[in-house]
Amino acid sequence: MSTQAIESLSEDTVRRIADERDEPEWLLKTRLDALAALETAELPDVIQTPGRRWTDLEALDFEALVDPLNQADETERTAGDDEVVVLPFTEALAEYGDVIEANFGSVLDPEHNYLTALSVALFTTGTFVYVPEGVDVEDVTVRAEMNSRSLFSQTLVVAEESSSVTILESIETGDSEVADDRYFSNLVEVVAGENANVQFGSLQNLDTDSYTYSLKRAVTDTYATVDWIESNFGSKLTRSDIETELDGDGSESQIVGTFFGTDDQHFDINARVWHQAEQTTADLVTRGVLDDVARSVYEGVQDVGEDAWNTSSYQRENTLMLSDDAEADASPKLIIHNHDTEASHSATVGQVDAEDLFYLESRSIDSRTARNMLVEGFFVPVLEEIAVDEFRDDVEDLVVERLQ
Amino acid sequence: MSSQQDDLKETDTEARFEFKKEEKSAFKSEKGLTEETVRVISEDKDEPEWMLERRLRALEQFQEMPMPTDWPGQPDLSEIDIDEIVPYIRPDIDVRGGAESWEDLPEEIQDTFDKLGIPEAEKNALSGVGAQYESEIVYQNMQERWEEKGVIFCDMDKAVRDHEEIVREHFMTKCVPPSDNKFAALHGAIWSGGSFVYVPENTTVEMPIQAYFRMNSEGMGQFEHTLIIAEEGSEVHYIEGCSAPKYSAFNLHSGGVEVFVGEDAHVQYSTVQNWSKNTYNLNTKRAIAEKGGRMEWISGSMGSKATMLYPSTILKGRGASDNHITIAFAGEGQDIDTGAKVYHNAPETKSTVESKSIAKDGGRTNYRGLVHIADGAENSSTAVECDALMFDNESTSDTMPYMEINESKVDVAHEATVGKIGDEDIFYLQSRGLDDDDAKQMIVSGFIEPITEELPIEYAVELNRLVELEMEGSLG
Repeated sequence: MSTQAIESLSEDTVRRIADERDEPEWLLKTRLDALAALETAELPDVIQTPGRRWTDLEALDFEALVDPLNQADETERTAGDDEVVVLPFTEALAEYGDVIEANFGSVLDPEHNYLTALSVALFTTGTFVYVPEGVDVEDVTVRAEMNSRSLFSQTLVVAEESSSVTILESIETGDSEVADDRYFSNLVEVVAGENANVQFGSLQNLDTDSYTYSLKRAVTDTYATVDWIESNFGSKLTRSDIETELDGDGSESQIVGTFFGTDDQHFDINARVWHQAEQTTADLVTRGVLDDVARSVYEGVQDVGEDAWNTSSYQRENTLMLSDDAEADASPKLIIHNHDTEASHSATVGQVDAEDLFYLESRSIDSRTARNMLVEGFFVPVLEEIAVDEFRDDVEDLVVERLQ
Repeated sequence: MSSQQDDLKETDTEARFEFKKEEKSAFKSEKGLTEETVRVISEDKDEPEWMLERRLRALEQFQEMPMPTDWPGQPDLSEIDIDEIVPYIRPDIDVRGGAESWEDLPEEIQDTFDKLGIPEAEKNALSGVGAQYESEIVYQNMQERWEEKGVIFCDMDKAVRDHEEIVREHFMTKCVPPSDNKFAALHGAIWSGGSFVYVPENTTVEMPIQAYFRMNSEGMGQFEHTLIIAEEGSEVHYIEGCSAPKYSAFNLHSGGVEVFVGEDAHVQYSTVQNWSKNTYNLNTKRAIAEKGGRMEWISGSMGSKATMLYPSTILKGRGASDNHITIAFAGEGQDIDTGAKVYHNAPETKSTVESKSIAKDGGRTNYRGLVHIADGAENSSTAVECDALMFDNESTSDTMPYMEINESKVDVAHEATVGKIGDEDIFYLQSRGLDDDDAKQMIVSGFIEPITEELPIEYAVELNRLVELEMEGSLG
């Protein structure tokens, strides 16, 4: 195994976490199984080309980063409506234990890799969102602050038949006495029932002492739609995976991504879709900006299975480089097993267009402002895909803030 | 020229490639790969000591390197057992290093190349021809007018002796070192045959030079090495053709190609590969382009059981440029994993990659490519375009490009599409009186046309015939 064992971790640690929360036996067992899986689990796959590894996860010192018993967060949750259940994960277990047990791990296998297993074994926060059949809510928000060296979060969204929900989550660094490196792990599972519609927006703006691992995964039933918006602004190193398994006929998924890297930030952004049923549609759109010595790594996968007749699948990725010392790596992949498919992808890397800049300057706008206007403009096609005003405004504000 | 075209059209292409000749050799090495094998090959070729040393070092590297197995979705190479390969078969001919007249060759070898249409093409459209049968070049000839200008086109084995200094400097040193990959190391240990091309400064070789590689024996490996040096301001077009009859045991082809494109020189390297469907085709091809140099790779991969081929260009000098044109056609049981690699290591460098692939009857195609733009390679641009066509649900079509961009003043674009043959297009053609087969064939010809039009006419015709042949197999 390539990953180092974390000596401070033991069954006792996991039992203590579970006991403190009065968790049911099945969850303790899931946690202990995940802990045991660490022995053999591998770190997430990272792209390698001759002589280069795009992200070095092995350099992370988990022994120093993981402090399981002192996790602390402050999280505000609003449901906006009585018909929907929005609860801290632990609290939800008492009343909705059966729903949680039935769905937990059904979308995202806790033993998927080393980091998911670690996260499931140790999580202390997270949210359970339950949208009963036919319910339609728009204003579920989860705003979290991380106040400890490490924080493991586990979120489960169950959207029943013909329900519709918009969820916005954000994570920032709160007041903390921890001075050096921190680790945030965020796992999200979305179960989208027949004809359900889930929009899940996530905004990560942790400080640059943080390392972030985030894996969000959805499975869609017939005619279901799952739309993701994944915005990454913070952290020193971010590994983010957004995945949808289109299991039901006629189901759809959109993955919209934005990132903005400055200084020596490193973003490893991944968007993946598996088409496994008929008439499914996917649209992957990511735009990012890099300044200073920031680096981005992007992998997009459109996998069309043998039974995915009449598939439509599109992918676009664009990176704008503001600095000569930045680096943008990209690998958009198509894996097609059904010929009844319309699929395309494109990726570009470029700089601010000199003619556009010249035009604005000729209108007597100074060059800094002109550049900033063009960068804001660069994000517009992605912002337009974000249907939630509040979220769009937040992203816009962060872009502007970065440009100061 | 048109009579030759008609001739090509009339010949039964399948019969031209599939015939077998009785195995007949002057020297055949033992199966497998040991230091002894390498020494025997080197001795049989009467090589200088330094070449033997290079071979032995490559052998060591080969033995140390693991088989590549961890590339996402790569072809299955587990069947390849080096110990089952006959690495070296010297054909039974009197003249080593290539006869200058077809008549000097034994009848069955002469007949082989006649059937492949090589002497006919030589008369009409080529500056020079080399023909390799098993492990050695059996025929090599170039028009006198090029020789007078100092152009060298000869058998690689001969070049090691006759042009020792220049070969020693360029042979598997800075372009394709054996350490590059396991099969480059294998190649370095047991290479045999291939061509050496040298074009002096400011010389334009107007008509293409061609080499044809034929494997005839069952279970053999062919490891020819091609070294092309184009000096400043020169221009040359090299064409390579490959085929073998099909056997039940696997064959292995692991060629090495090194191209040095001098300042403002222009080299075009075209390959139409039609190896039999039991052949593993694992090549390493690379070019280094100096200031203002231009490299063009044109590849048609039609044959083989599995191909892993990623011709690469290192754009080393300011303003150097690269153009890749690739067609892959995978039918039943074929896995064609091919693409392009370009390193932009200097400012104002430019590359374009155009790839077209067709998968049918359970075949798999994959475009796997890498574009790397180094820090400081400002004002460089690259455009990669991949289109794939799928015929049926048993087939697979993958696209796996990788881009590494370390410079901001660049223009980088990658695009890919995958689709099926449009029912409406077929309906339209049928309404014009074409039957289903002809309609599909016409659509495929149209799909690859942007590439065939870049090829010399003989090759365009040849490629179209091969595509038609592949199509006929399934519809019917």
